[in-house]
Amino acid sequence: MKRNQKIKLYLFLAMFAGAVIFAILFPRLTLPFGFAYILYLMAKPFTVKLTTGSKKQRFIYFCIMLVGVSFMFFPLFATLYNMDTDFGKFSAQLPEAQKILQDKVFGLKVKVFDQFGFKLKLDPVNYVMAKIESQGADFLNHIPDYLSAMFEWMLLVPLFLWFFFMESRKFSQGLLEAIPNPIFEKSYVLFSQFNTKFGEYIIAKFIEATILGTLVTLGLLIVGFPYPFILGFVAGVTNILPYIGPVIGFVPAFFIALLSKDPNVSMLGMVVIYTLANLIDMILVFPLLVSKIVNLHPIVVVVSIIIGSQLGGIVGMIVIIPFIAFFKLLFKEIYKDLSVQL
Amino acid sequence: MSYEKEVMEKMSRGESTGDRLEIPILKYLWDASPLSFLAKESYHDFFKKVSVLNSFSDNEVRLFTKFLHRREFMTNEVIFKQGDSGYGFYFIFSGSVNIHANFGTQTEDMGDFVIRLEKRQYFGEMGLLEEFNRRSATVVAAENTVLLGIFKPDLERMLELYPVLGAKFLRETALIMANRMGQLTREIVMLKKKVKELEQRG
Repeated sequence: MKRNQKIKLYLFLAMFAGAVIFAILFPRLTLPFGFAYILYLMAKPFTVKLTTGSKKQRFIYFCIMLVGVSFMFFPLFATLYNMDTDFGKFSAQLPEAQKILQDKVFGLKVKVFDQFGFKLKLDPVNYVMAKIESQGADFLNHIPDYLSAMFEWMLLVPLFLWFFFMESRKFSQGLLEAIPNPIFEKSYVLFSQFNTKFGEYIIAKFIEATILGTLVTLGLLIVGFPYPFILGFVAGVTNILPYIGPVIGFVPAFFIALLSKDPNVSMLGMVVIYTLANLIDMILVFPLLVSKIVNLHPIVVVVSIIIGSQLGGIVGMIVIIPFIAFFKLLFKEIYKDLSVQL
Repeated sequence: MSYEKEVMEKMSRGESTGDRLEIPILKYLWDASPLSFLAKESYHDFFKKVSVLNSFSDNEVRLFTKFLHRREFMTNEVIFKQGDSGYGFYFIFSGSVNIHANFGTQTEDMGDFVIRLEKRQYFGEMGLLEEFNRRSATVVAAENTVLLGIFKPDLERMLELYPVLGAKFLRETALIMANRMGQLTREIVMLKKKVKELEQRG
Protein backbone atom coordinates (compact mmCIF):
# COMPACT_ATOMS: atom_id res chain seq x y z
CA MET A 1 0.00 0.00 0.00
CA LYS A 2 1.33 3.44 -0.94
CA ARG A 3 2.06 6.08 1.72
CA ASN A 4 -0.84 8.41 0.88
CA GLN A 5 -3.24 5.44 0.72
CA LYS A 6 -2.10 4.45 4.21
CA ILE A 7 -2.64 8.03 5.43
CA LYS A 8 -6.14 7.99 3.92
CA LEU A 9 -6.93 4.71 5.67
CA TYR A 10 -5.62 5.92 9.07
CA LEU A 11 -7.50 9.21 8.68
CA PHE A 12 -10.72 7.35 8.02
CA LEU A 13 -10.18 5.04 11.01
CA ALA A 14 -9.39 8.08 13.21
CA MET A 15 -12.58 9.78 11.97
CA PHE A 16 -14.58 6.65 12.76
CA ALA A 17 -13.05 6.40 16.25
CA GLY A 18 -13.79 10.12 16.74
CA ALA A 19 -17.44 9.56 15.82
CA VAL A 20 -17.68 6.68 18.35
CA ILE A 21 -16.09 8.82 21.11
CA PHE A 22 -18.45 11.71 20.25
CA ALA A 23 -21.43 9.34 20.51
CA ILE A 24 -20.29 8.14 23.96
CA LEU A 25 -19.55 11.67 25.24
CA PHE A 26 -22.86 13.20 24.12
CA PRO A 27 -25.67 10.74 24.94
CA ARG A 28 -28.23 13.58 24.89
CA LEU A 29 -27.69 13.71 21.13
CA THR A 30 -26.82 10.07 20.52
CA LEU A 31 -29.89 8.52 22.18
CA PRO A 32 -32.53 10.58 20.28
CA PHE A 33 -30.49 10.04 17.11
CA GLY A 34 -30.46 6.27 17.72
CA PHE A 35 -34.16 6.27 18.57
CA ALA A 36 -34.97 8.22 15.37
CA TYR A 37 -32.87 5.70 13.42
CA ILE A 38 -34.87 2.80 14.94
CA LEU A 39 -38.13 4.56 13.92
CA TYR A 40 -36.71 5.14 10.43
CA LEU A 41 -35.83 1.45 10.08
CA MET A 42 -39.31 0.49 11.28
CA ALA A 43 -40.94 2.81 8.74
CA LYS A 44 -38.57 1.90 5.90
CA PRO A 45 -40.52 -1.07 4.43
CA PHE A 46 -43.62 1.17 4.12
CA THR A 47 -41.77 4.25 2.86
CA VAL A 48 -39.95 2.23 0.19
CA LYS A 49 -43.23 0.76 -1.06
CA LEU A 50 -45.07 4.09 -0.95
CA THR A 51 -42.42 6.42 -2.35
CA THR A 52 -40.82 4.35 -5.16
CA GLY A 53 -41.75 6.14 -8.38
CA SER A 54 -44.01 8.59 -6.52
CA LYS A 55 -43.89 12.34 -7.07
CA LYS A 56 -45.25 13.09 -3.60
CA GLN A 57 -42.35 11.75 -1.56
CA ARG A 58 -42.15 14.71 0.86
CA PHE A 59 -45.87 14.59 1.56
CA ILE A 60 -45.76 10.79 2.20
CA TYR A 61 -42.76 11.18 4.52
CA PHE A 62 -44.52 13.99 6.36
CA CYS A 63 -47.70 11.91 6.85
CA ILE A 64 -45.75 8.85 8.05
CA MET A 65 -43.76 11.05 10.42
CA LEU A 66 -46.88 12.73 11.78
CA VAL A 67 -48.58 9.38 12.45
CA GLY A 68 -45.43 7.80 13.93
CA VAL A 69 -44.48 10.71 16.17
CA SER A 70 -48.09 11.19 17.37
CA PHE A 71 -48.28 7.49 18.17
CA MET A 72 -44.99 7.69 20.08
CA PHE A 73 -45.76 10.82 22.11
CA PHE A 74 -49.50 10.39 22.76
CA PRO A 75 -48.92 8.03 25.76
CA LEU A 76 -46.49 10.60 27.22
CA PHE A 77 -49.05 13.41 26.95
CA ALA A 78 -51.76 11.18 28.38
CA THR A 79 -49.47 10.29 31.30
CA LEU A 80 -48.62 13.95 31.94
CA TYR A 81 -52.28 14.97 31.77
CA ASN A 82 -53.35 12.28 34.25
CA MET A 83 -50.22 12.48 36.43
CA ASP A 84 -51.85 14.54 39.18
CA THR A 85 -54.91 12.27 39.49
CA ASP A 86 -52.86 9.07 39.24
CA PHE A 87 -50.44 10.24 41.92
CA GLY A 88 -53.38 11.12 44.17
CA LYS A 89 -54.89 7.65 43.69
CA PHE A 90 -51.55 5.96 44.22
CA SER A 91 -50.84 7.93 47.43
CA ALA A 92 -54.33 7.18 48.77
CA GLN A 93 -54.01 3.45 48.07
CA LEU A 94 -50.44 3.09 49.31
CA PRO A 95 -51.15 2.83 53.13
CA GLU A 96 -53.88 0.26 52.44
CA ALA A 97 -51.59 -1.78 50.19
CA GLN A 98 -48.88 -1.55 52.85
CA LYS A 99 -51.26 -2.90 55.49
CA ILE A 100 -52.38 -5.83 53.28
CA LEU A 101 -48.80 -6.76 52.47
CA GLN A 102 -47.70 -6.50 56.11
CA ASP A 103 -50.56 -8.79 57.13
CA LYS A 104 -49.55 -11.31 54.47
CA VAL A 105 -45.88 -11.20 55.54
CA PHE A 106 -46.92 -11.59 59.19
CA GLY A 107 -49.05 -14.62 58.26
CA LEU A 108 -46.07 -16.11 56.42
CA LYS A 109 -43.79 -15.52 59.43
CA VAL A 110 -46.30 -17.24 61.73
CA LYS A 111 -46.55 -20.21 59.35
CA VAL A 112 -42.75 -20.55 59.15
CA PHE A 113 -42.47 -20.35 62.94
CA ASP A 114 -45.18 -23.01 63.42
CA GLN A 115 -43.65 -25.35 60.85
CA PHE A 116 -39.92 -24.95 61.55
CA GLY A 117 -39.71 -23.08 64.87
CA PHE A 118 -37.66 -20.45 63.07
CA LYS A 119 -38.22 -16.71 63.50
CA LEU A 120 -37.95 -14.75 60.24
CA LYS A 121 -36.37 -11.36 60.87
CA LEU A 122 -36.82 -9.87 57.39
CA ASP A 123 -39.14 -6.93 56.91
CA PRO A 124 -39.52 -6.60 53.13
CA VAL A 125 -42.61 -4.37 53.20
CA ASN A 126 -41.06 -1.55 55.21
CA TYR A 127 -37.88 -1.85 53.15
CA VAL A 128 -39.87 -1.55 49.90
CA MET A 129 -41.98 1.31 51.30
CA ALA A 130 -38.86 3.23 52.34
CA LYS A 131 -37.47 2.63 48.84
CA ILE A 132 -40.72 3.84 47.21
CA GLU A 133 -40.70 6.98 49.39
CA SER A 134 -37.07 7.83 48.66
CA GLN A 135 -37.37 6.99 44.95
CA GLY A 136 -40.68 8.90 44.74
CA ALA A 137 -39.15 11.98 46.32
CA ASP A 138 -36.17 11.68 44.00
CA PHE A 139 -38.53 11.33 41.02
CA LEU A 140 -40.55 14.40 42.04
CA ASN A 141 -37.35 16.43 42.48
CA HIS A 142 -36.22 15.45 39.00
CA ILE A 143 -39.55 16.08 37.23
CA PRO A 144 -38.31 19.38 35.64
CA ASP A 145 -35.26 17.51 34.26
CA TYR A 146 -37.45 14.71 32.89
CA LEU A 147 -39.81 17.23 31.29
CA SER A 148 -36.96 19.18 29.67
CA ALA A 149 -35.45 15.90 28.40
CA MET A 150 -38.84 14.87 27.03
CA PHE A 151 -39.31 18.17 25.19
CA GLU A 152 -35.74 17.89 23.90
CA TRP A 153 -36.59 14.44 22.51
CA MET A 154 -39.85 15.78 21.04
CA LEU A 155 -37.82 18.32 19.13
CA LEU A 156 -34.83 16.18 18.18
CA VAL A 157 -36.50 12.86 17.25
CA PRO A 158 -38.76 14.33 14.49
CA LEU A 159 -35.84 16.47 13.29
CA PHE A 160 -33.50 13.47 12.99
CA LEU A 161 -36.30 11.35 11.52
CA TRP A 162 -36.91 13.96 8.80
CA PHE A 163 -33.17 14.01 8.14
CA PHE A 164 -33.16 10.21 7.72
CA PHE A 165 -36.14 10.32 5.35
CA MET A 166 -34.88 13.15 3.18
CA GLU A 167 -31.08 12.94 3.36
CA SER A 168 -30.16 9.37 4.34
CA ARG A 169 -29.32 8.43 0.75
CA LYS A 170 -27.02 11.41 0.20
CA PHE A 171 -25.52 11.00 3.67
CA SER A 172 -24.77 7.31 3.22
CA GLN A 173 -23.35 7.99 -0.27
CA GLY A 174 -21.03 10.63 1.16
CA LEU A 175 -20.01 8.26 3.93
CA LEU A 176 -19.35 5.46 1.44
CA GLU A 177 -17.23 7.74 -0.75
CA ALA A 178 -15.07 8.51 2.29
CA ILE A 179 -14.28 4.82 2.87
CA PRO A 180 -10.79 4.04 1.51
CA ASN A 181 -10.53 1.57 -1.38
CA PRO A 182 -8.80 -1.31 0.49
CA ILE A 183 -11.69 -1.71 2.96
CA PHE A 184 -14.58 -0.43 0.83
CA GLU A 185 -16.16 -3.66 -0.43
CA LYS A 186 -16.17 -5.47 2.92
CA SER A 187 -17.22 -2.38 4.91
CA TYR A 188 -20.10 -1.65 2.55
CA VAL A 189 -21.41 -5.22 2.57
CA LEU A 190 -21.08 -5.56 6.36
CA PHE A 191 -22.75 -2.17 6.91
CA SER A 192 -25.63 -3.22 4.64
CA GLN A 193 -25.97 -6.58 6.39
CA PHE A 194 -26.00 -4.86 9.79
CA ASN A 195 -28.63 -2.38 8.61
CA THR A 196 -30.81 -5.17 7.26
CA LYS A 197 -30.40 -7.35 10.38
CA PHE A 198 -31.03 -4.44 12.73
CA GLY A 199 -34.12 -3.32 10.83
CA GLU A 200 -35.51 -6.85 10.62
CA TYR A 201 -34.86 -7.41 14.35
CA ILE A 202 -36.59 -4.17 15.40
CA ILE A 203 -39.65 -4.87 13.20
CA ALA A 204 -39.81 -8.52 14.33
CA LYS A 205 -39.63 -7.53 18.02
CA PHE A 206 -42.30 -4.87 17.46
CA ILE A 207 -44.65 -7.44 15.85
CA GLU A 208 -43.87 -9.98 18.61
CA ALA A 209 -44.59 -7.39 21.33
CA THR A 210 -47.88 -6.44 19.64
CA ILE A 211 -48.99 -10.09 19.39
CA LEU A 212 -48.12 -10.82 23.04
CA GLY A 213 -49.71 -7.58 24.28
CA THR A 214 -52.90 -8.36 22.34
CA LEU A 215 -53.01 -11.95 23.70
CA VAL A 216 -52.58 -10.77 27.31
CA THR A 217 -55.21 -8.01 26.88
CA LEU A 218 -57.76 -10.41 25.37
CA GLY A 219 -57.08 -13.06 28.02
CA LEU A 220 -57.42 -10.59 30.89
CA LEU A 221 -60.63 -9.22 29.36
CA ILE A 222 -62.06 -12.76 29.20
CA VAL A 223 -61.27 -13.55 32.87
CA GLY A 224 -62.46 -10.09 33.96
CA PHE A 225 -59.13 -8.93 35.38
CA PRO A 226 -58.77 -5.15 36.06
CA TYR A 227 -56.70 -2.83 33.79
CA PRO A 228 -56.45 -5.31 30.86
CA PHE A 229 -55.32 -2.69 28.31
CA ILE A 230 -52.59 -1.14 30.47
CA LEU A 231 -51.31 -4.56 31.60
CA GLY A 232 -51.35 -5.82 28.00
CA PHE A 233 -49.40 -2.75 26.88
CA VAL A 234 -46.84 -3.24 29.70
CA ALA A 235 -46.50 -6.96 28.86
CA GLY A 236 -45.95 -6.10 25.19
CA VAL A 237 -43.36 -3.38 25.85
CA THR A 238 -41.39 -5.41 28.40
CA ASN A 239 -41.43 -8.41 26.05
CA ILE A 240 -38.97 -6.51 23.84
CA LEU A 241 -36.32 -7.66 26.36
CA PRO A 242 -35.66 -11.36 25.69
CA TYR A 243 -36.01 -13.83 28.63
CA ILE A 244 -36.08 -11.11 31.33
CA GLY A 245 -38.93 -9.11 29.79
CA PRO A 246 -41.79 -11.59 30.38
CA VAL A 247 -40.91 -11.73 34.11
CA ILE A 248 -40.85 -7.92 34.43
CA GLY A 249 -44.13 -7.70 32.50
CA PHE A 250 -45.79 -10.15 34.90
CA VAL A 251 -44.91 -8.20 38.10
CA PRO A 252 -47.61 -5.43 37.92
CA ALA A 253 -50.41 -7.97 37.30
CA PHE A 254 -49.12 -10.13 40.15
CA PHE A 255 -49.24 -7.21 42.63
CA ILE A 256 -52.70 -6.15 41.44
CA ALA A 257 -53.96 -9.71 42.03
CA LEU A 258 -52.19 -9.85 45.42
CA LEU A 259 -53.62 -6.55 46.69
CA SER A 260 -57.10 -6.80 45.21
CA LYS A 261 -60.04 -7.36 47.54
CA ASP A 262 -62.40 -8.13 44.65
CA PRO A 263 -63.37 -11.85 44.80
CA ASN A 264 -63.71 -11.88 40.98
CA VAL A 265 -60.02 -11.09 40.52
CA SER A 266 -58.39 -14.48 40.06
CA MET A 267 -54.66 -14.88 40.62
CA LEU A 268 -54.77 -18.35 39.03
CA GLY A 269 -56.62 -17.07 35.93
CA MET A 270 -54.11 -14.25 35.49
CA VAL A 271 -51.11 -16.63 35.87
CA VAL A 272 -52.65 -19.02 33.30
CA ILE A 273 -53.19 -16.12 30.83
CA TYR A 274 -49.59 -14.87 31.16
CA THR A 275 -48.17 -18.40 30.95
CA LEU A 276 -50.26 -19.24 27.85
CA ALA A 277 -49.39 -15.95 26.11
CA ASN A 278 -45.67 -16.43 26.79
CA LEU A 279 -45.82 -20.10 25.71
CA ILE A 280 -47.45 -19.09 22.40
CA ASP A 281 -44.73 -16.47 22.03
CA MET A 282 -41.91 -18.93 22.83
CA ILE A 283 -43.22 -21.85 20.75
CA LEU A 284 -44.70 -20.04 17.74
CA VAL A 285 -43.97 -16.32 17.43
CA PHE A 286 -40.30 -16.11 18.49
CA PRO A 287 -39.03 -19.05 16.39
CA LEU A 288 -40.91 -17.81 13.32
CA LEU A 289 -40.05 -14.12 13.61
CA VAL A 290 -36.96 -13.42 15.67
CA SER A 291 -34.68 -16.42 16.19
CA LYS A 292 -33.71 -16.74 12.51
CA ILE A 293 -32.66 -13.09 12.43
CA VAL A 294 -30.59 -13.11 15.62
CA ASN A 295 -29.37 -16.74 15.70
CA LEU A 296 -27.60 -16.44 19.08
CA HIS A 297 -27.30 -18.92 21.95
CA PRO A 298 -29.67 -18.14 24.88
CA ILE A 299 -26.71 -17.75 27.30
CA VAL A 300 -25.10 -15.24 24.94
CA VAL A 301 -28.43 -13.35 24.80
CA VAL A 302 -28.78 -13.19 28.62
CA VAL A 303 -25.14 -12.10 29.11
CA SER A 304 -25.59 -9.52 26.33
CA ILE A 305 -28.69 -8.07 28.01
CA ILE A 306 -26.81 -7.68 31.31
CA ILE A 307 -23.92 -5.95 29.50
CA GLY A 308 -26.41 -3.80 27.57
CA SER A 309 -28.17 -2.69 30.76
CA GLN A 310 -24.80 -1.72 32.27
CA LEU A 311 -23.84 0.29 29.19
CA GLY A 312 -27.09 1.98 28.18
CA GLY A 313 -29.98 1.11 30.48
CA ILE A 314 -33.22 -0.04 28.83
CA VAL A 315 -32.16 1.24 25.36
CA GLY A 316 -28.90 -0.68 25.75
CA MET A 317 -30.78 -3.85 26.70
CA ILE A 318 -32.87 -3.65 23.51
CA VAL A 319 -30.16 -2.56 21.08
CA ILE A 320 -27.34 -4.85 22.28
CA ILE A 321 -28.81 -8.04 20.72
CA PRO A 322 -28.57 -7.00 17.04
CA PHE A 323 -25.13 -5.50 17.78
CA ILE A 324 -23.91 -8.82 19.20
CA ALA A 325 -25.41 -10.61 16.17
CA PHE A 326 -23.50 -8.17 13.94
CA PHE A 327 -20.21 -8.71 15.83
CA LYS A 328 -20.69 -12.46 15.44
CA LEU A 329 -21.08 -11.89 11.69
CA LEU A 330 -18.01 -9.61 11.67
CA PHE A 331 -15.80 -12.14 13.47
CA LYS A 332 -17.02 -14.89 11.14
CA GLU A 333 -16.02 -12.75 8.13
CA ILE A 334 -12.60 -11.93 9.62
CA TYR A 335 -12.02 -15.60 10.50
CA LYS A 336 -13.06 -16.61 6.96
CA ASP A 337 -10.58 -14.12 5.51
CA LEU A 338 -7.78 -15.37 7.75
CA SER A 339 -8.35 -18.98 6.73
CA VAL A 340 -8.28 -18.46 2.96
CA GLN A 341 -7.44 -21.63 1.11
CA LEU A 342 -7.39 -21.30 -2.58
CA MET B 1 -43.23 -2.50 -16.99
CA SER B 2 -40.70 0.06 -18.25
CA TYR B 3 -41.37 3.78 -17.97
CA GLU B 4 -41.56 4.19 -21.76
CA LYS B 5 -44.12 1.39 -22.11
CA GLU B 6 -46.16 2.83 -19.27
CA VAL B 7 -46.25 6.27 -20.92
CA MET B 8 -47.06 4.80 -24.35
CA GLU B 9 -49.94 2.77 -22.91
CA LYS B 10 -51.31 5.77 -21.04
CA MET B 11 -51.17 7.84 -24.23
CA SER B 12 -52.91 5.10 -26.26
CA ARG B 13 -55.70 4.99 -23.65
CA GLY B 14 -55.96 8.77 -23.81
CA GLU B 15 -54.98 9.14 -20.15
CA SER B 16 -52.90 11.99 -18.76
CA THR B 17 -49.21 11.24 -18.51
CA GLY B 18 -48.71 13.56 -15.58
CA ASP B 19 -48.82 17.29 -15.36
CA ARG B 20 -45.30 17.73 -14.01
CA LEU B 21 -41.86 17.34 -15.50
CA GLU B 22 -39.45 15.58 -13.20
CA ILE B 23 -36.22 17.53 -12.89
CA PRO B 24 -33.98 14.42 -12.51
CA ILE B 25 -35.38 12.93 -15.76
CA LEU B 26 -35.02 16.28 -17.52
CA LYS B 27 -31.42 16.59 -16.30
CA TYR B 28 -30.73 13.02 -17.35
CA LEU B 29 -32.16 13.57 -20.86
CA TRP B 30 -30.09 16.74 -21.17
CA ASP B 31 -26.93 14.82 -20.24
CA ALA B 32 -27.87 11.95 -22.53
CA SER B 33 -28.56 14.17 -25.52
CA PRO B 34 -26.17 13.59 -28.43
CA LEU B 35 -26.13 17.38 -28.90
CA SER B 36 -24.98 17.91 -25.29
CA PHE B 37 -21.85 20.06 -25.24
CA LEU B 38 -20.63 18.64 -21.93
CA ALA B 39 -17.01 17.61 -22.22
CA LYS B 40 -17.23 14.63 -19.88
CA GLU B 41 -18.89 11.43 -20.95
CA SER B 42 -22.15 10.82 -19.15
CA TYR B 43 -23.02 7.48 -17.56
CA HIS B 44 -25.73 7.15 -20.19
CA ASP B 45 -23.28 7.41 -23.11
CA PHE B 46 -20.94 5.06 -21.32
CA PHE B 47 -23.48 2.32 -20.68
CA LYS B 48 -25.05 2.63 -24.10
CA LYS B 49 -21.65 1.53 -25.45
CA VAL B 50 -21.11 -1.27 -22.91
CA SER B 51 -21.96 -4.40 -24.86
CA VAL B 52 -23.70 -6.30 -22.07
CA LEU B 53 -26.11 -3.48 -21.27
CA ASN B 54 -27.09 -2.41 -24.78
CA SER B 55 -30.47 -4.11 -24.42
CA PHE B 56 -31.37 -1.64 -21.65
CA SER B 57 -33.76 1.18 -22.50
CA ASP B 58 -32.81 4.81 -21.73
CA ASN B 59 -34.88 4.84 -18.57
CA GLU B 60 -33.50 1.47 -17.46
CA VAL B 61 -29.95 2.82 -17.84
CA ARG B 62 -30.97 5.89 -15.81
CA LEU B 63 -32.34 3.68 -13.02
CA PHE B 64 -29.37 1.31 -13.20
CA THR B 65 -26.88 4.15 -12.64
CA LYS B 66 -28.62 4.97 -9.34
CA PHE B 67 -27.22 1.75 -7.89
CA LEU B 68 -23.60 2.28 -8.92
CA HIS B 69 -20.64 3.38 -6.81
CA ARG B 70 -17.92 5.47 -8.37
CA ARG B 71 -14.47 4.44 -7.09
CA GLU B 72 -11.20 6.13 -8.09
CA PHE B 73 -7.88 4.26 -8.12
CA MET B 74 -4.37 5.57 -8.64
CA THR B 75 -1.74 3.95 -10.87
CA ASN B 76 -0.58 0.59 -9.45
CA GLU B 77 -3.21 0.66 -6.72
CA VAL B 78 -4.57 -2.83 -5.98
CA ILE B 79 -8.33 -3.05 -6.59
CA PHE B 80 -8.58 -6.50 -5.06
CA LYS B 81 -6.26 -9.41 -4.42
CA GLN B 82 -6.54 -13.04 -5.38
CA GLY B 83 -8.25 -14.87 -2.50
CA ASP B 84 -10.08 -11.81 -1.14
CA SER B 85 -13.80 -12.12 -0.46
CA GLY B 86 -15.63 -10.74 -3.48
CA TYR B 87 -18.92 -8.89 -3.37
CA GLY B 88 -19.06 -6.78 -6.50
CA PHE B 89 -18.86 -6.31 -10.22
CA TYR B 90 -16.88 -3.43 -11.77
CA PHE B 91 -17.16 -1.53 -15.07
CA ILE B 92 -14.11 0.43 -16.23
CA PHE B 93 -15.38 4.00 -16.73
CA SER B 94 -11.95 5.43 -17.53
CA GLY B 95 -8.38 4.16 -17.46
CA SER B 96 -7.38 0.49 -17.54
CA VAL B 97 -6.55 -2.40 -15.23
CA ASN B 98 -4.09 -5.30 -15.28
CA ILE B 99 -5.13 -8.76 -14.19
CA HIS B 100 -2.57 -11.00 -12.52
CA ALA B 101 -2.99 -14.58 -11.35
CA ASN B 102 -0.90 -16.69 -9.03
CA PHE B 103 -0.94 -20.20 -10.45
CA GLY B 104 -0.33 -22.28 -7.36
CA THR B 105 2.88 -20.59 -6.26
CA GLN B 106 2.87 -19.54 -2.62
CA THR B 107 4.74 -16.27 -3.15
CA GLU B 108 3.49 -12.98 -1.81
CA ASP B 109 3.68 -11.15 -5.15
CA MET B 110 0.78 -10.58 -7.52
CA GLY B 111 1.65 -13.52 -9.76
CA ASP B 112 1.81 -13.62 -13.55
CA PHE B 113 0.29 -10.96 -15.77
CA VAL B 114 -2.74 -12.40 -17.58
CA ILE B 115 -4.56 -9.62 -19.44
CA ARG B 116 -5.18 -5.89 -19.55
CA LEU B 117 -8.77 -4.63 -19.54
CA GLU B 118 -9.59 -1.24 -21.04
CA LYS B 119 -12.39 1.30 -20.81
CA ARG B 120 -15.95 -0.15 -21.11
CA GLN B 121 -14.79 -3.63 -20.12
CA TYR B 122 -15.84 -5.27 -16.88
CA PHE B 123 -14.64 -7.78 -14.29
CA GLY B 124 -15.63 -9.41 -10.99
CA GLU B 125 -19.09 -10.64 -11.99
CA MET B 126 -18.57 -13.86 -9.97
CA GLY B 127 -18.46 -11.75 -6.80
CA LEU B 128 -21.97 -10.58 -7.47
CA LEU B 129 -23.46 -14.02 -8.07
CA GLU B 130 -21.57 -16.49 -5.88
CA GLU B 131 -22.59 -16.76 -2.23
CA PHE B 132 -19.03 -17.10 -0.88
CA ASN B 133 -16.84 -15.76 -3.61
CA ARG B 134 -13.06 -15.68 -3.51
CA ARG B 135 -11.43 -13.49 -6.10
CA SER B 136 -9.65 -15.74 -8.59
CA ALA B 137 -7.13 -13.11 -9.65
CA THR B 138 -5.48 -9.87 -8.53
CA VAL B 139 -6.58 -6.69 -10.29
CA VAL B 140 -4.36 -3.61 -10.32
CA ALA B 141 -5.00 -0.17 -11.80
CA ALA B 142 -2.63 0.23 -14.77
CA GLU B 143 -3.12 4.02 -14.72
CA ASN B 144 -5.39 6.47 -12.88
CA THR B 145 -8.68 4.61 -13.21
CA VAL B 146 -12.32 5.25 -12.43
CA LEU B 147 -14.50 2.20 -11.83
CA LEU B 148 -18.26 1.95 -11.49
CA GLY B 149 -19.08 -0.88 -9.11
CA ILE B 150 -22.29 -2.63 -8.24
CA PHE B 151 -22.34 -4.84 -5.13
CA LYS B 152 -24.53 -7.54 -3.60
CA PRO B 153 -26.60 -5.15 -1.41
CA ASP B 154 -27.25 -2.94 -4.47
CA LEU B 155 -28.43 -5.92 -6.51
CA GLU B 156 -30.77 -6.96 -3.66
CA ARG B 157 -32.15 -3.41 -3.45
CA MET B 158 -32.57 -3.30 -7.25
CA LEU B 159 -34.50 -6.57 -7.25
CA GLU B 160 -36.71 -5.24 -4.46
CA LEU B 161 -37.42 -1.81 -5.97
CA TYR B 162 -37.23 -2.52 -9.72
CA PRO B 163 -37.66 -6.30 -10.19
CA VAL B 164 -37.81 -6.11 -14.00
CA LEU B 165 -34.57 -4.13 -14.16
CA GLY B 166 -32.94 -6.46 -11.59
CA ALA B 167 -33.96 -9.56 -13.53
CA LYS B 168 -32.70 -8.02 -16.78
CA PHE B 169 -29.35 -7.17 -15.21
CA LEU B 170 -29.07 -10.67 -13.71
CA ARG B 171 -29.79 -12.17 -17.14
CA GLU B 172 -27.01 -10.07 -18.68
CA THR B 173 -24.62 -11.07 -15.88
CA ALA B 174 -25.54 -14.73 -16.38
CA LEU B 175 -24.79 -14.31 -20.11
CA ILE B 176 -21.32 -12.92 -19.25
CA MET B 177 -20.73 -15.96 -17.03
CA ALA B 178 -21.98 -18.32 -19.75
CA ASN B 179 -19.63 -16.73 -22.30
CA ARG B 180 -16.70 -17.00 -19.92
CA MET B 181 -17.57 -20.65 -19.15
CA GLY B 182 -17.76 -21.38 -22.88
CA GLN B 183 -14.37 -19.75 -23.39
CA LEU B 184 -12.88 -21.76 -20.52
CA THR B 185 -14.32 -25.01 -21.86
CA ARG B 186 -12.81 -24.34 -25.28
CA GLU B 187 -9.45 -23.54 -23.70
CA ILE B 188 -9.53 -26.75 -21.61
CA VAL B 189 -10.33 -28.82 -24.72
CA MET B 190 -7.46 -27.16 -26.59
CA LEU B 191 -5.04 -27.72 -23.69
CA LYS B 192 -6.06 -31.38 -23.39
CA LYS B 193 -5.40 -31.81 -27.12
CA LYS B 194 -1.96 -30.27 -26.66
CA VAL B 195 -1.21 -32.55 -23.69
CA LYS B 196 -2.24 -35.58 -25.76
CA GLU B 197 -0.02 -34.45 -28.66
CA LEU B 198 2.92 -34.00 -26.28
CA GLU B 199 2.29 -37.45 -24.72
CA GLN B 200 2.21 -39.05 -28.19
CA ARG B 201 5.46 -37.29 -29.16
CA GLY B 202 7.20 -38.13 -25.87
